[in-house]
Parts: sequence; structure tokens; C-alpha cells
Amino acid sequence: MIAGWSHEIVLAATILSWFIIGTGLAQTTIYLLQLVVAGYALSKRPPVARSALLWQRYSDVAPPIALLVPAYNEALNVVESVHSMLALEYPNFEVVVINDGSKDDTLQRLIEAFKLVKFHRPYEEALAHKPIRGLYSSPMTERLFVVDKENGGKADAQNAGINVCRAPLFCVIDGDSILEPDALMRAAQPFIDDPERTIAVGGTIRIANGSKIEAGRVREIHLPRRLLPLFQVVEYLRAFLMARLAWSSINTLMLVSGAFGMFRRAEVVAVGGFTKGSMGEDLDLVIKLHRHMRDMKREYRIQFIPEPVCWTEAPETLSVLARQRSRWQRGALECFFRYRSMLFNPRYGRVGFLGFGHILVVDVLGPVAEVLGYILIPAFWLLGILSAEYLLAFTALIFTYGVCVSVCSLILEEAELQRFPRARDLAVLTAAAVIENFGYRQLNNFWRVKGWWQFLRGNQGWGEMTRTGLSGTKK
Amino acid sequence: MWYIWDLSILLSVVSLVIMLFLIARRMLQERRGRAAADQRRQLLTALIAFTENRDREALKVRLLGVPAGIAIDAGFEFISLLRGEERDDVLVAFNECGLPARVGRQLQKGNVADRIHAAEMLAALGSEDASASLLSALAQDRSREVRIAAAIALCDLGSLPLLGTALDFIGVAGQRSRRLIELFRRFPRSRFNELAVHASRADASPFVRAAAIDALARAGGFGFADFFAGLAGDAAPEVVAAALRALGLTGHAQAPAILKRAMENDDWEVRAAAAESAGRLGFPELAAPLSRLMDDEVWTVRYAAANALRSFGQSGERLLREIAASEVSRSQRTASLILAEGPAL
Repeated sequence: MIAGWSHEIVLAATILSWFIIGTGLAQTTIYLLQLVVAGYALSKRPPVARSALLWQRYSDVAPPIALLVPAYNEALNVVESVHSMLALEYPNFEVVVINDGSKDDTLQRLIEAFKLVKFHRPYEEALAHKPIRGLYSSPMTERLFVVDKENGGKADAQNAGINVCRAPLFCVIDGDSILEPDALMRAAQPFIDDPERTIAVGGTIRIANGSKIEAGRVREIHLPRRLLPLFQVVEYLRAFLMARLAWSSINTLMLVSGAFGMFRRAEVVAVGGFTKGSMGEDLDLVIKLHRHMRDMKREYRIQFIPEPVCWTEAPETLSVLARQRSRWQRGALECFFRYRSMLFNPRYGRVGFLGFGHILVVDVLGPVAEVLGYILIPAFWLLGILSAEYLLAFTALIFTYGVCVSVCSLILEEAELQRFPRARDLAVLTAAAVIENFGYRQLNNFWRVKGWWQFLRGNQGWGEMTRTGLSGTKK
Repeated sequence: MWYIWDLSILLSVVSLVIMLFLIARRMLQERRGRAAADQRRQLLTALIAFTENRDREALKVRLLGVPAGIAIDAGFEFISLLRGEERDDVLVAFNECGLPARVGRQLQKGNVADRIHAAEMLAALGSEDASASLLSALAQDRSREVRIAAAIALCDLGSLPLLGTALDFIGVAGQRSRRLIELFRRFPRSRFNELAVHASRADASPFVRAAAIDALARAGGFGFADFFAGLAGDAAPEVVAAALRALGLTGHAQAPAILKRAMENDDWEVRAAAAESAGRLGFPELAAPLSRLMDDEVWTVRYAAANALRSFGQSGERLLREIAASEVSRSQRTASLILAEGPAL
């Protein structure tokens, strides 16, 4: 260290560096532990039966499911999406599309494609939402209902769908996503095997950019050709295969994705449904379910199972991705502070300690500490306030452990699931898992800090999520 | 601090080496996968040809010429499409090639998914020693899903041990699975009394008892009506609701009184089940209690009651219209909604 820096400055820099490195270490330790737990959970999971066998085995006892599809300005994709949902392989389900006051001709396209007619259907007004303008049914299929309501946001639309649906289970899915034909059957399995305790099940979200899509089905799986969605493929693997599987195996799963999640209606109604105006309505709902079940001292399971797959379109431009990530960050912060009384609260057991502890380290402190580190640690080293050891430790936490965690997620995927069809895909993904730590990860953290800033300023906007539509072929 | 750096380099290098190994493994698998797909296709072609020419020897040559896993897998898929004599002929060929013995080994040594599948295949193949293998799986397998699959397969083969013993083998955790409903629905008529005994056991789980009642109601018919009527006074609401639903299917001389009493039960699921059964049986004396139930605090009960009245035909519709035209209340709103259900005019 260069002489001349006052003791106070060195001490302050050292404390700050320890905070940054300590947070990074905590985050990395959590990731490595998640990898171990997820690896163990995956190895204990049996290889999965083929769809035809699942049908033979479970179709007689499969519970009815309502598929809730909120649609806002989805005219581009909605008809094809609904066609593909109606063709899902499940014995007893209905599709409830909720047109959330779209400004485009989403409703008109549905009316024309399915010859919809106005319909009266009694339903329980268990959850509050914006007024419903009309219900529609189709003479072409008794499985389809369309709810036309005033605009109130995604959570509001989902609440309207929960009110209108009659099945004991409902599955939420984004209007522009594509479910694999057997996804409902696979997601329903925990509700069949353990119907009394299972209250929510999440499946895997995969990125469809680059894959060949025809008639609302993913016909050929390919990796995205652009770098940005390719990095997101690795990110999604980390998020689903590592984090969610690990937390699920110890019943501490804090997030069932709003893009594809199945819930028991009674419990969701009991917690008041989705929270309106929330940036992270899916995270919010799962936290509410944990709190409710623990307050009631009831045994329950919230599970993630990797096999049911929902395909979605990932943002391909930096501006759209930045908006999405900032919004996700605001959603996490909003939920963390809304339910902060659960943090380290013994009443909520491992949900309070592990689940909320994870949000604290990874979502609340993580991005701020890391971005501070990008600036301060090299600066302290250049100014001679800190030794090279600190710089190396920080570099290890940002880059090399990052590579290890990303590649290990890919190892889990390949060792247990093998969903990427070609060896070449694996090689490309391995390269992406290394490269994403040099630039993409840092960019992501800047967006998350921006989300923090927006949260502090009370910015509640969702921002436009520009989509090009999945209905085409390869992009 | 150095150890953080050193460990990170070590872990990254190890993970990359493992990944490279997995990529190499995948390249080999791709090659083998293509060969396996070819063999499977050839076997399915041979099976289709067999249904036309019944040349068993040719089929056996083909069956023995492919790896056992492929023969078992494609064979089971194929026989699930066949019925009658054709199926029996294919099964004979499978038995002569020793496929059931291989499936039996899979039941012992495969992973959980393989073992469940093996149990299903053994039931379909129906070989002589299938029951012994399945009994052993029911008693000893460490996975409850496999034990349930073995019980279902044994039931199909007519070799399920006494229900109490089978459920003991399945274990308490397994007795929460909806797959038990399937097991009970496959019960042979000659053993319905076992279901009845279990349904009336106060120490058994209400879920299992309700599943047993449901199976008896579907297949047992009026012969069990007295039994269901007795269970309608049980302490467990889940059992009472199942008994009421069963009474709705079978009917009973005392049904109106039982249902009327159940409509005042504290548990909403019991009240809803009573309303549902009342609608199915259509006793006019239940119209009044049903119209009272339309003021219930739980929507599901109100809806079931209104629906029941609607299924009474003209008299029910008339009553609903009267309620809908009365002063604003919960009953009035429910009646209006039910009457409006259907295409808007």
C-alpha cells in the first residue's frame, strides 16, 4: 500500500471492499449451494415418462384445469396461441382468455376466428377487478371462454379469470407463450400424487427465439442466432434448473413464474389473488401463499418441476431487455419491502430465513454491491489504497465463479435432462456461458441498479414490451 | 484472499472439463440414438407385418435381433393398440422371447420411471410370474409411486392382496395420491366388500375412504345404497360429502331426509354435495331447502343449489323465476344469474 493515505481512508476503503466482496461471496456461496442441492434433487428425480404413458396413467384421475390467458394488445398472436392451447393434451380443461381492454383488435380477431357469441356465465365475485364488459363462448368448442374487461393490468386480468373459471386448479400463461402439448399433464402430476398438500407448481420457461414454430407449436428446437437471446438461454437455465429446483426441493420456492404456473384456486382466492399494480405479481402471490399457509399452520407444497415446458420470446434488443430487467428488479424490491416482516422471522421458518435471505442477498444487496465494486475496487487498487488481493478476489467473484456457476447449470441440464437436441448446441451454449460473464452480466447489473433507482423514485410503469411474435419461423 | 481466486480458477476449469466430456458423450449418443431409432422402426414394421401374416417365427427373430430395451418399449407401445386375438398372438411371441422376464428385471433394477413402466407392462403382458414380481415390488419397493403402480397392475391381473394389506404396503404418504382412485375404480365386483369395509373404517384417511365410496358408487350400484346412507352421518366431512354424492347416483328411500339434514351441515362441501345430489335425484320435497340454500354464504353452495333447482325441470324453473323476481338478496342474485346462464339474447 502507498504510504500517505490516512488511516481513516484506508479503513473506510477496506470496510467498503469487505462489504462488496462479502456480498459477492455470500451470493456465490448461495449459488454453489443451490447447484449442489439442485444436482442432488435432479439425480433423485426419475427420468420422465413419455407423454403417451402419462396420458394412460393419469388421464382418468387428472383434475379439471382452467388455463387463464391475459391478453393485452396481442392481436398479432392471439388466435394462433389460442388454437395451440385448445389442442393441448389434457382430458379436462378450459381456456379462459381475458382481453384486458386491448387497444388493438385482439377481441375482434378472437370473435372472428372462433365465432364468439356473448354468453352469460354465473361466477363468484371472490376477487376485485375492473368491470367485465362481456363474456363470450364459442359454438366451435366448449373449452373456450373469452372475458372482455376494462384495462386494469395483468394481475387484474388474472383475478377476473380466477373469478370466472370453475376448475379447482388454474394455470396462468402469457398470451404470447407456447405450452408444449403435454405441459398441463406434467404440471398436474404433483396435484395428482399429493393433492392435499400441493398448492402451486411451476414449470420451466424456455426461450423460443431461433426455434422453428409452426401452427402454435415448436417444431424444431434451435438456439437463438443473436447473442442477446442466447445469453438469456443460459440465464434461464441458471434461474430454473439451479435456483428453482434447489429451493423447490426444500419447499422454499419463492417464485412460480407468471408465464407458466399452476395454482389451486381456493388458496389463491383465500390470499386475495394477484396483487393489483404489482411489478412482480407472480413473486408476490407465492410469498402470500407461503405466509397464508404458515399462518394457518397447514402442511403444503409449492413445487417446481423441470419437465413441463412453456416457450416464450426473449427480448432481442438492449432497450427492451433493459426495461424488462429494471421492472423485474423493482418487482423483487417491492415484494421484499412489502413482506419485510417475514425476513428472518422464525414464524416463517425456512421461507423467512432462506427464501427471504436469498432475496436480500441476491436481489436487494447484490446488484448495488456489484456495481459499486466495478467502480471502487479497481479505483482503490489503482490509487494504492488496497492490495491486489482484493482486486483478484473481486475479479474471481465477478468472472470466474460466474463462469463456473453458468457452466455447472449447463452440466445439470445435460446430465439429467438433455433437452438441447444437438451436441453443437451444447458447445455454443458452453461458449455463451463463459462469454456472458464478460459484459452481459455487468450490463444486467447496471439495469438492476437502474431498477433500484426507479423503485426509490416510485416509478410504477411497466414500459412497452415490444414483441415481434412467435408465429414466424426461425429468427 | 488468494484462496478465493485459486478456488474460482479450479472450479471453473473443472466445470469446463466436465462440460467438454458431456459434449463428447452427447456426440456418441447422437450416433447410437440414430441406430436405436432405426431398430425401433424395423421392429414396429415387423409387428405390423405380423398382424397380417401371423408369422411368429419371423417376429421372434426380429424381437431377438434388437436390444431388449427397444423390444420391450416398442412392443408395449404396439400391444396397447391391439385387442383380442391379435393381441394374444403378439403376447405369445413376447413370452416365448422371454420379454416378461426382462421386464421383471427392470421392475427390480430400473430407476423409478422404469419400474413404474415395468409394472404397467407386466400387467399387460400377463405372464405366469408377473404376479410374483409385482407382489414383491408392492411389498418392497422404496418408491411409493412404484408400489401404487404395482398395486394397480396386480388389481388388473386379479392378484391384489387384501386391500388393507395392499394399503399398508403402499404406506401412509402414498395414501394421499389420486392414483388410489384409479386403483379402486379397477376393483373387481367380487371384492367390493373390501372397499366397503375400508370406506367405513374410522381410522383410515378420509381421502382414501372417500375414494372407496366414489368407486363403489360408480360400479356398485343400488346394492350399496344403505351403506352410503349410513356413512352420510360420518364424522369426517370428506366422507359425508362422498356418501352424499354416492346417494345422488344410487338413490335411497331415506335420501330426501338425509339430504335435507346435510344441507344444514357446518361444512360447505357437505352442503354443496347435498345440493348436487338433490338436483340429480329431483325429489320435489327438496325444493324448499334448496331455495334456502341459495342464500348460503358460500358461492359454490349457492350455485349448486340453484343448479339443482334448475334440473328439477319446469317446477324448479318456476321457483327460480319467483326468487329472481323477489326483493334483492343473495338468493335473488343467484337465481337471476342461473336463469341468465347461456347465450345472451
